Amino acid sequence: MAERTRGQYALYAVAVLTLVFLWAPLLVMIFLSFATNSSTVFPFEGFTLSNYAQTLADTGLLTAVFHSVEIATIAAAIATVLGVLGAFGLARIDFRLKEFYRTFGILPMVVPGVVLGMALLIYFRTIIGVTTGFWTVVATHSLYGLPFVLLPVTARLYSFDRSLEEAARDLGSGTLATFAEVTLPIIGPSVAAGFMFAWIRSFEDFIRVYFVKGTFDVLTTAMYSMIKYGSAPEMNAISSLLVFAIAVLLAVAMVGGDVTGYVAGSEDGE
Amino acid sequence: MAPDPQSSSGLAADVRVLLRDTRVRLGLTVGPSVIWLALLLLAPLTFVVTVSFLQVNDAYQVVWQHASLANYQALFAGDGPFWTTSFFRSLVLSYKIAATTTIVCLALAFPMAYLLATHSGRVFKIVIFLVLLPFFTMYLVRAYSWYLMFGPHGVINATLLNLGITDSPLALFGYGQGAVVVGLVHAYFPYMLLSLYASLDGVDFTLVEAARDLGAGKIGALKDVVIPLTLPGIISGALFVFVPSLGAFVTPRFLAQGKIQMIGQLIEERINTLYAIDYGSAASMFIVLTIVVLFLLAFRYVSIEDLGGI
Repeated sequence: MAERTRGQYALYAVAVLTLVFLWAPLLVMIFLSFATNSSTVFPFEGFTLSNYAQTLADTGLLTAVFHSVEIATIAAAIATVLGVLGAFGLARIDFRLKEFYRTFGILPMVVPGVVLGMALLIYFRTIIGVTTGFWTVVATHSLYGLPFVLLPVTARLYSFDRSLEEAARDLGSGTLATFAEVTLPIIGPSVAAGFMFAWIRSFEDFIRVYFVKGTFDVLTTAMYSMIKYGSAPEMNAISSLLVFAIAVLLAVAMVGGDVTGYVAGSEDGE
Repeated sequence: MAPDPQSSSGLAADVRVLLRDTRVRLGLTVGPSVIWLALLLLAPLTFVVTVSFLQVNDAYQVVWQHASLANYQALFAGDGPFWTTSFFRSLVLSYKIAATTTIVCLALAFPMAYLLATHSGRVFKIVIFLVLLPFFTMYLVRAYSWYLMFGPHGVINATLLNLGITDSPLALFGYGQGAVVVGLVHAYFPYMLLSLYASLDGVDFTLVEAARDLGAGKIGALKDVVIPLTLPGIISGALFVFVPSLGAFVTPRFLAQGKIQMIGQLIEERINTLYAIDYGSAASMFIVLTIVVLFLLAFRYVSIEDLGGI
C-alpha cells in the first residue's frame, strides 16, 4: 500500500511539473508585458501599461489583426459548409472510394505547413499564374480547416440515433422541418466546434500564410517580423492580450459545452 | 432508405424524386469538398511531384520536358561525400529532433493522461483548462515565449546569474538543439496528451488491479495491460507529434538562431529567397514519403477514425 501511494505521488509530481513547464514561459511573457524593462526580468525597473498603450496605437498591427479575423471567418465558413455537407455524405451514403475520400479529407491537417504552403505557392504562382494575396490565403485556409469540421460532424452523425428523425417524420414532420428541428439541434454543437477549430487554425497559422500571402500582412506574419527585428514591448503585449482573450473564451466554452469531448475526440454519444 | 415522403405537388416533389438518386445526393454532399480537395490539395501536390523531376529556367518558369532525377542528385551533391551536404544533414537532424520530441512528449504526457482518466469533477476541469489554454494559444506566441526564456541573455540565464548560481551564461540554456526540442515539446505536447487521454479514458482500470492481484508487478501490469490497451492512443499521439515536428519552421528559426537548420527551414530558404522550386519540391518529397510510410505503418495498428480524433 505504501508503495502504491509513493507511485501516486510520483505521478502527481510529474503532472504538476508538466503544468509548470506548460505555463512558465507564458507567465514570464505576461510579466514582461507589464514591465518597464520588457526584454528580460533583470534588472527589474517597475511596472507600466505603456507597452499596451503603444501596441494598441499601432495601426499597422491592428490592420493585420483585422485581416486575420476576416480571413479566419471567411475560410472557416467555407470549411464549415463543405465539411458539414461532406460529413452527411460520409455518414449517410454508401459509395465506392469512401475510404479514399475520408483519407483525403484528413490530409489538409496532416501535411506539414511547409509542404502545403510551398505546394500552394508553386501552384498559385507558377502553374495557374495568379497573384498571391488575400484570396489565396482564404483558399489555403478553407482547405486547411476542412478536416476540423469534417471529423467532429461525421463522428456526431455516426453516433446519432436516426430513429429520432424517423419518429419526427412518422409524426408528420416534413423533410425540412425534420432537419431544422431534429437533425440540426443534435449536430449543431459539433458544427459549432468544427467552425471554431477551423477559425482558430486559420487565425494562428503562420507558415502557410507566409508562403501564399503575397505582400500583405496578417497578425502572425506581423508578429514574425516583430520577433525578427526585436520589438519585444509590442510583441509581449499583443501576445499577452491573446492569452487573456483565449482564457476568457475557453472558460466560457468549457462552462457552456463539452470542449474536452470534442478536443479529445471522445464525445459522448447519446 | 428514407420512408416514403408524403406526396405533394410541384417543385418540392421534383426535388424529392431527384434526391432519391444516390449520385445526385453524393454530388450535393461530398461533391463540393471533392472539388475543393482536387483543386487545392491533389493538384498542387501532383505538381510538386512533377516539378521535382523537372527544371526551372531563369524566368522561374517550369520547363515541361526532359524529366530527370537531376534535382534529387543536386540534393546530395556537394564538395564532399553526400553525408556532408546541407540537405542530408538537415534531414538527419530533423529526424533526430522529431524523434526526441516524440519520446519526451510521451514520457511527460502518460502520467498526466493517467491522472485525468482516473479523476473527475473539479480537479479534472481545472487541469484540462490549464492544459488547453496553452494548446489554444497561438503556436507563434508559444515559440516566442521560449525565445524569451532561452539565450545567453534570456530569462533563465539572467535569473541564474542574478541568483549567483553561475557567473557566466550557461550554454545549456542558450539557443540550439536543446532549446528547439523544448519548444517543440511545448508546442505538440497537448496532441500527445489528448490522444493518450482519449484511449486511457476507455480503459477499465479494474483490469490493472486484477493483473496486480494475480501477481503482476507494476512494470508487468503496465507492459501487459495498460500499454496494449492504449496502443492506438500512443501511435496516433506519436504521429501527431512527430509529423509536425519533422517539418517545423518557426520553432527552429527562433530557438536555434541559425545554429542548426532543420529541413523545413532549408526548404523555406530555397523557396522564399531563391524561388528554387525544383530543389524545394525534390526536398519536400522526403518529408511526404516519410509521412506516407509512417501512416501506412500506423494503419496496421489503428483505424483512420482513431487517428482522426484530433
